Formats: sequence, structure tokens, C-alpha cells
Amino acid sequence: MIANRKVLTDDMVARIEALAPRYPTKQALTLPALHIVHDELRHVPLDAVVEIARLLDLAPAEVQDTLTFYQFFHQEKPHGQVRAFVCRSISCALRGGEQVLDHLCEKAGIKPGETTGDGSLTVEPAECLGACDFAPCMLAGDDLHKDLTPEKAEAFLDSVRGRNS
Amino acid sequence: MTETGSFQPVLLEAVGVENGHSIDSYRSRGGYAPLEKLLAEKQPADVVEMVKSSGLRGRGGAGFMTGVKWTFLPKDHPGPIYLCVNADESEPGTFNNRILMEDDPHQILEGTIISAYATRASTAYIYLRYEYPQSWNSLQTAIDEAYAAGYLGKNIKGSGFSLDIYLHRGAAAYICGEETGLIESLEGKRAWPRIKPPFPAIEGAFRKPTVVNNIETLACVAQIARRGVDWFRSVGIPADPNNPRDPGSYGPKLYCLSGHVEKPGCYEAPLGITARDLIDRFGGGVWKGRRAKAVIPGGISMGLMTEDELDTPLDFAGPGKVGCLGLGTAAVVVVDETVSIVDFLHNSCRFFAHESCGQCTPCREGTSWSLRMLERIRAGKGRLKDLDLLAEIGNTMGMMPGSTICGLADGAAWPIKNAIAKFRDEFEQYIKESNPTGYMETDPVPALPIVTAH
Amino acid sequence: MPTVIVDGQEIEIGADERLNCIEAARRAGAEIPHYCWHPGLSVVASCRMCLIQAGSRDPETGAVSMIPKLVPGCQTPVKDGTVIVTNSDAVKESRARVEEALLIDHPIDCPICDKAGECLLQDYHFEHGQSERRADIQPFHSRRRDVGPTVTLFVDRCIMCTRCVRFTREVSGTSELMVSARGAKEEIDTFPGFPLENKLAGNVVDLCPVGALGDKDFLYQQRVWFLKKSENVCGGCSAGCSLVTEHNQDTVYRLKPRENPHVNKWWICDDGRYGWHHLHDPSRLVSPGHRGSDGFTEIEWADVVTGLRDDLKAAGSLAVAVSPQLTVEEAWMLCAVARSIDPEAFLALGYLPTEGADESFPGGFTIRSEKAPNRRGVEAVLGMFGAATDGVIPGWNELLDRVQAGDSKAAWVTAGHPTPTTSWCDEQTAAAFEGLDCLIVQDLFDSPLAARATWRLPAAGFAERSGTWVNCGQRAQCFEQAIRPPAGVWPEGRLYWNMLGRNGLYDPTGVRQKIAESSAELAALAGDLPATGVDLRLHQVAAP
Repeated sequence: MIANRKVLTDDMVARIEALAPRYPTKQALTLPALHIVHDELRHVPLDAVVEIARLLDLAPAEVQDTLTFYQFFHQEKPHGQVRAFVCRSISCALRGGEQVLDHLCEKAGIKPGETTGDGSLTVEPAECLGACDFAPCMLAGDDLHKDLTPEKAEAFLDSVRGRNS
Repeated sequence: MTETGSFQPVLLEAVGVENGHSIDSYRSRGGYAPLEKLLAEKQPADVVEMVKSSGLRGRGGAGFMTGVKWTFLPKDHPGPIYLCVNADESEPGTFNNRILMEDDPHQILEGTIISAYATRASTAYIYLRYEYPQSWNSLQTAIDEAYAAGYLGKNIKGSGFSLDIYLHRGAAAYICGEETGLIESLEGKRAWPRIKPPFPAIEGAFRKPTVVNNIETLACVAQIARRGVDWFRSVGIPADPNNPRDPGSYGPKLYCLSGHVEKPGCYEAPLGITARDLIDRFGGGVWKGRRAKAVIPGGISMGLMTEDELDTPLDFAGPGKVGCLGLGTAAVVVVDETVSIVDFLHNSCRFFAHESCGQCTPCREGTSWSLRMLERIRAGKGRLKDLDLLAEIGNTMGMMPGSTICGLADGAAWPIKNAIAKFRDEFEQYIKESNPTGYMETDPVPALPIVTAH
Repeated sequence: MPTVIVDGQEIEIGADERLNCIEAARRAGAEIPHYCWHPGLSVVASCRMCLIQAGSRDPETGAVSMIPKLVPGCQTPVKDGTVIVTNSDAVKESRARVEEALLIDHPIDCPICDKAGECLLQDYHFEHGQSERRADIQPFHSRRRDVGPTVTLFVDRCIMCTRCVRFTREVSGTSELMVSARGAKEEIDTFPGFPLENKLAGNVVDLCPVGALGDKDFLYQQRVWFLKKSENVCGGCSAGCSLVTEHNQDTVYRLKPRENPHVNKWWICDDGRYGWHHLHDPSRLVSPGHRGSDGFTEIEWADVVTGLRDDLKAAGSLAVAVSPQLTVEEAWMLCAVARSIDPEAFLALGYLPTEGADESFPGGFTIRSEKAPNRRGVEAVLGMFGAATDGVIPGWNELLDRVQAGDSKAAWVTAGHPTPTTSWCDEQTAAAFEGLDCLIVQDLFDSPLAARATWRLPAAGFAERSGTWVNCGQRAQCFEQAIRPPAGVWPEGRLYWNMLGRNGLYDPTGVRQKIAESSAELAALAGDLPATGVDLRLHQVAAP
């Protein structure tokens, strides 16, 4: 499972190390390092965990312990080019958030949590995105999609697919 | 923003202002001048005293006196002391921190710098949830501007006081909003809340004295510095003279209104506005002309108020008087009469089962068991006995009965116990109708595989 | 003295003692059930099994005020006036709730679980749980995966006390174990390719309060209620860790650490833990033999007792290697036997195996490089017999030199090193003994040296004898015989006892008392020794 290949680029390592002066311990760089790798690779493969652990003087299990707790980082394979979090918490659910999630997944031909076959989109249910004033809402990349309807969700899907083709 | 009598929004004054998030706009509104004056004229202890005398209570949920929290720091500590800014706003229904960070980040920074000065912190970490990329950008821009303007860095404005502020990104875990969970997460570990004592003020981030304050709390600090203690105490609900333990509910508060209202949004009002006032005067009433069935007073973990309880003042003491956990984040979520209370509670239980950090047995197993029961009830296999079991879980899990380390379990428990206590008839009717042959069953029944809990 | 009130009973604790409620209540005879707390690990207070009621008694008025909610006993320190209630309805109810919660997803596969019989989940459920199951029933599942070469994990039996994870982070310092995921989905795991593989790994099995972590060496070998426990000391190195040998019908099944704050705290290393298999190795020497003109013949022990003495008398000058595997009592009797035959007998410390350097772990545990348990005890005995020259006790090399130089005509070599496959003595070394008139070799296994012996005598293993060892920290510990040696084997002490013409059964306690009377260095061995042993140095200082 561990191929011992080098996953972290020199640039990633440099960016991680550049943050070191901010924290009194190396372990505090765990989340920043995981984010840097995840932003680039859209997942944090096991090899990367080993490399991060080495960089931070930790055991791989310590980094993995943290990584798995947050249930945010993909590990086995990269998430889609666009990662969409559809809120399912109470304010969005009251205004149709779960229907939007189901509709989007159905149109994309995937189940919640999965990635489309063309790798363009991963749809994940999310707990409160903190945009209840625009419920139901969705965070796709850095973009907040507000006041969603099934129609708007479909339009979003079309734009993602269009971007990919 | 709508006015409430003579009250003018202050925390939200930048909302709607063009370029309101820029440092120039902030200064033109009077920002940073209080900081400069305070750095030049006041000692840290004076600032602590100022905040203490203002009666400011933390806006993150627990409502602890901010100034008092600061006094728990050891005197004459050689340092470093850390200030952690809790921007992991994750309580369902809550988004006031997001508005503040996106629209007026300098107000946050000024409050942070003042608080760091008061607590002698040399480094502040803003722990920002992953879900707020816009806040990240606006805060980072503001931090860069503040460094350039000399409000951050070494020897700020010649005062001898130095401060660095760093943004630290979370990774989607509700428990990081608990202050010691946040600290563990900042340190690079799983966000399992720590046992107390020691409290963070004695041994916090990196085993050093640490203060954790919420974004809105820091915005209030900036406003107290600008407008004075007397102004702050003129807003809100004064302490109950008959209750020596009531510190009062002073100052403005950001109320997040969402769910089934016509105009969801973040509204600033003096502490103590009633839920009905908020819904009718700010939110344009319950949507579609319907009636409210239930209202969450301050984020889902605070429980439920019924329609009859909507005249409850939303100050720190109010929601507790109708059996809710407290004011929480003052995130008011309206649930209209068409919603099944079973669906509501299912949503709540799913959230807490997903977000329980898994450290304490009663919370880890209680949140998961309650979700499992709700799944089964919704699948038409509920039993009346399940309601007793749910109520028992609600009564036994949490920090208040002492069965958990942190308050997450109390937040998980309250919607359960409020829903069962206040809407038991509806649960019973649902169970009887959906499971006409088995609702009286009392023997254990097979669990369903939990399919909807992703 | 600070007074603590436990369920109404007042107990005094030491002025400087820092106890939590669990420890204080135990002094009063009240056992507070707990899973996650362990005295050797950090406090996490997460299992919530030890919840109790606590408060304080006002020293002036005597009024008791209680904390309104339940508190974890593990996390709550006691001081003068602390009031602990462990038997109230609220406490009992809380324990029942925790037990119920822990059993919601537990497979309850006790009939096939190794831990059954010594499982805290079982014991506490019996004592504090409720008979009725109220939770939705889950289908049976008990996934198993290896977490390392010696330890296996039954994933679904785990109750997430995290003792094992904390152990690898705080004591072994190797951090192989982790918690993965969160909430009810969390599991104990290792990182792929980084198994639980350190010299203290086996301790996580002892720490596991339930049947989640299993020792592959012990797995499915024996139900624990058949096991008898004997207090032993590890012979693997000079640390002398306190052990419990668990055995049934003269077969050892496992070794476990025995708590000893002066030596090993709560831990042992895996070298020691699995260092008993040689006892049951089929290649062990099990009968005495004599090499005469007509070749090698097995003989009776009675003939050994008389024959040895005659042979050695005839040979003349004797050199004796007193093995650091022998007990203090055996070493003393061997020296006495030797000097009764040859008053000038040359006495030396036997072969002392060493391996690398001392290996220390962050939690303070150290594995010693000296792979024998009793060098210090044997040296003290040799000192009693005036074996030192210029203040130095001669060792194996000095004995070799002497034999090679022809200064001795007979040699008696005791060994007993637990190495069945690689002998401690190679051909070249053994050749040095070829010119002797008489060579006695007393050992566990055959060797090039034993092959040259006139008298080849089987030795006993560590669990097959009783006596006293002195560890590298000058701590003397007595231990009991756990099992009988294989048929045909006399423990060393029995042979020496008989050769000294003593009557009856070998009495190591009597020998120890005699030694204590006649040696200042070993005076502390007098009387009954506590289970954790005595420090010889302290007693010398105290002696007038």
C-alpha cells in the first residue's frame, strides 16, 4: 500500500516549512501541511502522510490519527475537480437542502460522497456551512451557492461538466 | 439593518458600506483610534478592568464573563501567552461570525489586538473553519493591511507591545469550537476536548496560558474601547437585582435568523429582544403566512421553544426559563407547522452523532444510539418505549449531569429532551400510525443499518 | 495527617501523597470501577466509568458540601476533608448507563474471547450493569486484524479507553497505535506499513481492559480461569522485572508484569514476556549423565551426589564457574560444596552474556544489556567466600585462563542460559577444558562444552526454582517456584543441598536466613522479603 514514492513537491515542503516560525511545535504544522497537500493533490495519499510525519518528527500514525478525525481529507483517491459541499443541517434542511442534495446526486449519477465518472465533481453532504441566511446553500470550491433550488443545482452541474469538456 | 427603537447597529455598521472591509473605511468610521489611545494611555490591567466592568459575556455560546476569564491568567507569567480566536463557527443556524469577518474584518482585528494587549498575549491564532473561504481571504487581507499600517508586528505604534496574528484553518469538525478541542486541533492533534482543570488560562495552547475568545466577543471589545463601558451597559438587559448570580446581559447582540422566515439574515439588536419580535419585526414573520411550530433559540444545541414560548427574551437568562439550554449563539431557527417533529429531531440527532468527537462513552454511544432509534422510528418501526429511552439519554448525557468532558453532549441532549417533553403527543401519534402492529413492543428490536448517516 | 471520607469511613493518607479518588477509595476498601485510567498513563477521564460523587467537609463546622454533579474519580484529587461517595443511587445508575453504552456495539462473543474471565467489561457488567438489554440489537461481528507481529486486534470488542495508544506515545515512545475516525466510527489502528513493533509492545495487551488486544503467543492456548499464578522475577536481563508466571499442570502459558514501583512499574519487555518458551523446549537436558571409559551413560541422581564428590576429590584443584543464573542461595551452597571438597577451590562468576547497550524508553523503562538476572547476588556470595583477588571478583575469562594454564585439574561450570539454538559456549572456548581430569557442566541445553563433560547435569529454568536474585539496582527479590522441572531434572539447589548432606527437602528460605546472618552485604535478606524486594544498599546504610 505504501509505495514510498515522493509525493510532496519541493514547493509543498517549502510552503510547509515557511509556516514553521508561526508555531512553537512542529506537530502544530499537521493541519496546515495536510491542507497544503490536499489543496494541490485533492487527496492526501498514505505516502504523503509518511512524508509529512517525517518532516514534522512524528510517527505516521500520529498524523493519520489527526487526518482521519476530521473526515475532511480524501485519502484513497483525489476528489473531483470541483468539490461541492451541500448543507444538510437544520436551516438548510428546513428549506429543501436534502432534496437539493438528492437531486444533484441523481442528476450527476452518483451517491452522496462520490465522484462523477469523469472526475469533474464530488458531491458531499456537509454540516452547517454557516450560510443559513441563504439556505439551502452549497460550497463548491471557494464559491458559496445561495438559495439553491433543484434547477439551480442542475445549472451548477451543467457548468461543472462544461468546464470539464 | 432595521432599527430597534433608538438602537443603531454598531457591530454591523460596515454592512452595506462600500469597501467597508478595508482599513481606510474602518478608520474613517473611527476604527483603530481607540486602540492607539489605549496603547498610549492604558496599562493592560486597565483594559482588563474596562472589559470586566462592561459586563461583556462571551458570545460563543457559554456566556462566560470575558473580563473575568482574562483575570484567570497567571500574574507575571514570563510568557508566551496565547490568544486563540474562535472562528470555528459551526453551530447549526449560526453565521454572525462569518458576516463580521467578511464585512468588517478590521473590527475583529482591533478587538483582537486590544484583547491581546490586555492579556499580554504575543501571538494570536485565529482558528477559522474550513467552510469560510471568503472570511479567510478578507481576514488575511485585513491582517496584511494591519501589518502595513503598524497595528501588528513589533512595537505597535511605539507602545513596546508586539503581536503577531496568524490564520489557522480547520477541517470540518464541530468540536473544534469547544475551546480545548480548538487548542488540541491547533496543536495538530485530534480535537478531543481536554479535561479541566487545568483551564486554558493556566495551561492552554502548547501548555502555555491561553485565552480563547469568540469573534463576536472581540468585536464587542473593539466597540467597548470605542464607545465606552457606559454605552455598553446602556444596551441590553441589566442584572436581576434579586439574583446575585446574574451578571446581566449587556450590549448589542447579533441574532442569526433562519429557517422558515420570510427574511432570513443576521440582525443586530440589544440583548433581550424576544423571539417573536425578532421573527416579526426583522424576519418579516413566519414564511408563507404559516404558524411557527417550534423555534430554536440559539443554535440547534439549545433545544426548542414552542409557539407559546416565543415571547421569551433572548438574553443569557431567557431561554433557560423555558427549559432550553441557554442563549447559545443566538441563532434563531424557525420551524413551521408543516414540519414533522420526528424529522426535526432526526436531523438534530444525525448532526450530533456525526460531530461527537468520540472521546466520552456516554456521548459517543448516546448520540449514535439516539440516531439509530430515530432512523428506526422514521422507518416505521418505532416503539413508544423508544421515547422513554430517548428521554433518558437526553437526561443522562452531558456535562451538566457530569457524564462528559465537554458540553457537546448537552447540546445533543437538549433537542432530544425538549422535543420529547414538548411534542410527545406528536411522536406518539407518529409511532402509532407508522407502526400499528409493533408500537407497544418492549423487547429489544434489531437495529437498522444506518444508511442516511453519511 | 489529611483525612479523606469514603462512603462515611474516614481514612488517613500521607501528607505528601497525591492520590485521586480511585486510589483513596481503594484504601478504604471501595473499588471504583474504571477503564481508561491507569496509574502509569496520562489521565483522560473519557470512559466515565469512575464517576462518583465528591465534595468537601468544612474543617471548622464539619458541614459537608457536595459538588452537584458526578465527577470522574480518576481526575479528582483528594485532599484533607475530601468526601467521596461511591455507592449512592446516582453513582450506581451512572455505572449501569456506561456499561449499557459500552455494550451497544460490543459483539459479546465471550465464549470465543481470550479475555473472558479476566475482562473488566464482564466483571463490571456483572457487578454494575443491568441484565436487560434495551438497545437495538446489532448483528454479530468481531473483526480481527493484526496490528503487529505479536499483537492482534479484535476491532469490535474495543471500548475506546485509548490506554494502548497512550502507552505507545508515553511509555514506549514509538507511537505506532492511533485512533482513527471519530465518534461511534472510531477504531484503534496502526498506519499501514508501520506495525506495532517495539520491545514493549506486549504491554498493550495487559493494558487492554477488554478482549480487543490479544497476544498471539497466548491466543486460544488456555482459558484464563485454569491458570495458576506464581510470583516470579524475570531472568532475561539484570533489570529483574517482577513477573507473574501463569501456568497450568507444569506448563507455562504466559508471563505478565507484576507491579513493582522500584523496578519495572507496570511493564515488562517482550524479550522477558516471551522468554519462557525454552522451558518447554524438547532439546532440554533432562537426565544426568556420566562419561566414563565405556562412553556416556545416563545415571541416577543418587549416584551423582556421591560420584561427583569422589571424582572431584580425586582430581584435586577445582575451579568453579558460578552462573549469574543461579539464585543467591544456590550460589552460596555451590561455593560451600566446592570448598568442602577443595578448600582452595577457585571460585569465579560464570559466563555473563551481554547484548548491545542498555535500551531506555521515554516512560523510564530500561532493558539491560547484561542478559543474566543475578550477577550482583552471585558476586556478593563469592565475596563471602573470599573469592576476590585485589578486590575484584574473578569472572569467566579468569577461569578460562586458569584452566588453560593447567592451574586447575577439575572444573564445575554452571550455566543455565535460556538459549536452545545458539549455545553460549562455542567449540573454541570448550576446547580449553579438554585437559581436565574432571569437568562438570550443569546446563539447560547441550553445548560443545557439555559434549566434553565428565558429568553432564541438567539445570532448572527460572520458573522451576525458588530463591533470590539481586538486580542491577541492588534490589533483592525472592520468588517462588511456579512449575516442576521436567521429569529427571533436579533444580541446582536440590543437588547442592544433598551434596552438603542436609536432611529433608531443599529449604531455600533457611539458606537465605543463614546467608543474611553471615554477610553484611546481604543482611537485608533476613526475614520475609516484601513482594517488591529490598534495596541492599539502603539496609547497609541503616545497619549500625
